[in-house]
Amino acid sequence: MIQIDQALVRFGGVVALNAVSASFTAPVGGIIGPNGAGKTTLMNVISGFITPKSGRVMVEGRDLLSLPPHKRAHFGLRRSFQKEQIADDLTVFENVLVQLDHRLGDGKSKRAEVARMLEVVGLSAQSDTIGAALTGFERRLTDVARCLVGAPKLIMFDEPAGGMSVEETHKLGDLILGIHALTGAQTLVIDHDVELISRICTQTLVLDFGRSIAFGPTAQVLSDPRVKAAYLGTEEVA
Amino acid sequence: MDRALFRITPSGAAGLILAALAFAVLPSLAGSYWLSVFTSAACFAMAAAGVSFMYARLGMVSLTQVGLMGVGGWVALRLNYAFALPFEANMVLAALATMVFGWILALPALRMRGLYLALVTLMAAGGLEIMFSTFQFPNGGAGFWGVKTGSSDPFRGPMLAQSAAGFLRYVIVMVTLGFLFIEAHRRTAPGRAWALIRRSEAAAMAAGINVTLYKKWAFGIAGLLAGASGALLAASLGLLDDGTFRSSESIMIFALSVVGGARYWLGPVIAAFLYRILPALLSTWGVNANLAYVIFGVGLLHALITAPNGIAGQIFDAARGLSTKLRGPK
Repeated sequence: MIQIDQALVRFGGVVALNAVSASFTAPVGGIIGPNGAGKTTLMNVISGFITPKSGRVMVEGRDLLSLPPHKRAHFGLRRSFQKEQIADDLTVFENVLVQLDHRLGDGKSKRAEVARMLEVVGLSAQSDTIGAALTGFERRLTDVARCLVGAPKLIMFDEPAGGMSVEETHKLGDLILGIHALTGAQTLVIDHDVELISRICTQTLVLDFGRSIAFGPTAQVLSDPRVKAAYLGTEEVA
Repeated sequence: MDRALFRITPSGAAGLILAALAFAVLPSLAGSYWLSVFTSAACFAMAAAGVSFMYARLGMVSLTQVGLMGVGGWVALRLNYAFALPFEANMVLAALATMVFGWILALPALRMRGLYLALVTLMAAGGLEIMFSTFQFPNGGAGFWGVKTGSSDPFRGPMLAQSAAGFLRYVIVMVTLGFLFIEAHRRTAPGRAWALIRRSEAAAMAAGINVTLYKKWAFGIAGLLAGASGALLAASLGLLDDGTFRSSESIMIFALSVVGGARYWLGPVIAAFLYRILPALLSTWGVNANLAYVIFGVGLLHALITAPNGIAGQIFDAARGLSTKLRGPK
């Protein structure tokens, strides 16, 4: 379970997150909202790149805010960024293996795990290809494979479908839906693609101007008039 | 054990062959003047390898490398006159001491990036320059600084290599080991961590990488290589002079590493060739050795404009193109 409790973030006079609370229990949860709503800020708070003024973030009973970012990754937190972060001079295999390097243990089992996850995302054939030679979608899949290794507890994807075609987005959606059965991890997804969110996310949090305006089952949240207003604006009737 | 660690690439094979050729042929061809030029060039190749590695793997610009060589040289000389340890022990201790020095230097530098990091390291080089010119290098005198007027006491070189030709071979072996040490890092966990840190520090942290630790590690390796090369230079000359370790020399060795090609093993070799062998060649030909600076400038402009991977990058690209042409289209 992921519990965000009264997270408050200020950048100067701007309140980026205004006491946001949410408790994700479903295997896949979504965070949506217009540009500048605070979605990535919330993800950065959970990752440890931004320290909130106040509030709490608990994942499976562990208070994450007391840990530095890399220790959160050791704990089982994974995330991808809006732009896929693949080292151009490492192979696909090495780009995934890097996630397991901090762990003590034999290289053989680490390599077997990386190979297994590359098979899951469908990149086994590109295992020895260097990052620079990959397509955008392959880079994204490498990112996903990196998130899957090392017994993750919470995986966060920040706009994973950005720049992807309809088929690619569909494949990505299938992969994300399979994560819980594969690793036992919960997943949080930020995306603007409402179709993707409504297909894969059971629970969704909607942010607008740093405030939580709706949280609950996705279908219910998406039909909430406040959410529609945040996305589309309201019609003024003369 | 990781099989990839011991895989020999074509470029690596070329490097090992060049090292073997240099080991076998160079000392028997050269006279005493050229032996000392080649030895000094080999020492600087090792130091340049350290600075190239930091730049190529982490994008960190260190302008202290020659100053750190001075630290290694100072420690080696100090130990030589203070204790009866063999040269190898002095070299290892000098390398380790310089590594620790590199770490201390890294503490404030870790908070800086880009130009600011370069400036901090340059200031450290400036500080070292002042220290060296004030206190000089130990030459067998009394006290902590160990400096006396008149001729220096003898410096114990390696037992295995008492002659100048033997010492050149010894240095070539050490430099090759230094290069292999860097390559071994590149192929294992630290190399992967550095590659991701270079891509994005946030992504590296999200992948569980302790960014501070790995940056410190890189500074340590650069310091270790600088320290070892300083000790070798001290053994080659028997004494060191503060003029060798000015901060301008650190800038020069960094610039030449960029010209040579920081990403490849050949880059630091080219840098050392330009830094030590080219001026010697010019003076042998009766040309003013300062012409070398003009050539360095042209080389730097060439690297900045047309060769982001330096001369080594161009050579390897050409070799790759030639090999594809010879093999024919698939």
